[in-house]
Amino acid sequence: MNSYSYDEIEVGRKEGFSVTVTEEALDTFKGITGDINPLHNDADFAVKKGYKGRVGYGMLTAAYLSTLAGVYLPGEKSLIQGVELKFSQPVYVGDVLNIQGEVTEKNDTFKVIKVKVTIKNGDNKKVLKGSMQIGVME
Amino acid sequence: MDRQEIMERINVIFRDVFDDDTLVIVDSTNAEDIEDWDSLEHINLIMAMEKDFDLKFNLKEVGELANVGEMADLIERKLKEK
Repeated sequence: MNSYSYDEIEVGRKEGFSVTVTEEALDTFKGITGDINPLHNDADFAVKKGYKGRVGYGMLTAAYLSTLAGVYLPGEKSLIQGVELKFSQPVYVGDVLNIQGEVTEKNDTFKVIKVKVTIKNGDNKKVLKGSMQIGVME
Repeated sequence: MDRQEIMERINVIFRDVFDDDTLVIVDSTNAEDIEDWDSLEHINLIMAMEKDFDLKFNLKEVGELANVGEMADLIERKLKEK
């Protein structure tokens, strides 16, 4: 786990990691949230709606932003204050997601960083884009 | 920039931060008057003002503000010091 202090972080710093979307992750997410929507749970239903298969939950994809902040940027001293995002493309089981963050702004008064976030699939297509506001604790 | 201009710009910032185009602020406006004005939005407000007016505040300065009028006074004072 990273443990950057506020002063160690400069605008332009990038951090990231990759994960593979699995059936198990979707099922676990369904168990936690109770979102039983068939688009995410019934491959036949999803195909009939024009998708390649069971569509990953957008909010599951977004959940990896928690890891981005809490483990990588800034890591241990992270305190997520806000997230704004858009889902650009569907995510499928088997996709390898590349989660990336880049510091775009720092506020010295409150020791807050703004991070541009991007998640791309294995085809290098953006599936999520947005920004995070993260406090960096002492 | 005179104080009225400062208040007008502050009003624009408030509308943007609270996503409310009907918001009208006056000198006496404080956190009691705006339901969403919590500690997190206070950070967002101050950050937006620093950016808009190209100023830097310190925690003591912003912690002592009682209302928008005092915020405008602080900004006016800081702009004159630049």
